[in-house]
Amino acid sequence: MLRERILAALAPSRTVHAHCDIPCGIYDPHGAEIAAKTVSKMVALINDAVAVAGQGGQVELESRNKVIRCVKVKEEHAELCKRELQILWSDYFKPEHVEKYPDLHDRFWKALKQAGKCKQSVDAAAAAELEAQVAAIADIFWATKGGRPS
Amino acid sequence: MALIPGARRVARSWQARVIVVGESMRPTLEPGDWLLVDLDAYGRRAPRAGELIVAPDPRDPRRVLIKRVAAVDLDGRLLLAGDDREASTDSRTFGAIEAGAVQGRAWFRVRPLGRFGPVR
Repeated sequence: MLRERILAALAPSRTVHAHCDIPCGIYDPHGAEIAAKTVSKMVALINDAVAVAGQGGQVELESRNKVIRCVKVKEEHAELCKRELQILWSDYFKPEHVEKYPDLHDRFWKALKQAGKCKQSVDAAAAAELEAQVAAIADIFWATKGGRPS
Repeated sequence: MALIPGARRVARSWQARVIVVGESMRPTLEPGDWLLVDLDAYGRRAPRAGELIVAPDPRDPRRVLIKRVAAVDLDGRLLLAGDDREASTDSRTFGAIEAGAVQGRAWFRVRPLGRFGPVR
């Protein structure tokens, strides 16, 4: 009784919401797609920054700074892309989906490897390939959902 | 002397204690957990990826969310995610939020006593 009263007196008055609109089964390939697009964009920005390098002084310093920042974001978003893909692969897709799309495992495996390749390189073609692979997985995802939401 | 800033942090965080509602941060946070929130955590620096933050829901600012910073974009905006991706509404739905909107960092759990201690 006393314990209850003490606890009631100490209890937080504010709530914070570990919120979910719908309590289960929400998956979306959008996160992986955005992450892959970000990787592409960073490759382009790194190339822009390198184009003005070699001039010395403040310009040089800032181009180096920009390269490092962009590489960091590229690395993080390639990792985010992998994580989002892994969630779709392990949590959303079910054996019946693999029956219908027999190359599904292979697509995920290749896209995950491609994200790794994008970390290692500054290669617009590799980044475009990652985008394409993720987009193809997103197409399959929406096909299993009966169509992409408009 | 070194203890005083720590004590001040605990006292201010205690004033800002919160209770968790919802399951999107499982298994890290369970509904009903009492957490201390450091309101001064981001006075001198911006939130970083991996940190547990408290910020208003951009779709309904009356609802204060607790989520994890999944990533920080080039403009310093934060992508938030619930630890339970299957049961979370977060930046995948409402997009990135401004770092300045963050109210504080959840850093310590006081209840249940069985899980008393820092949270990350």
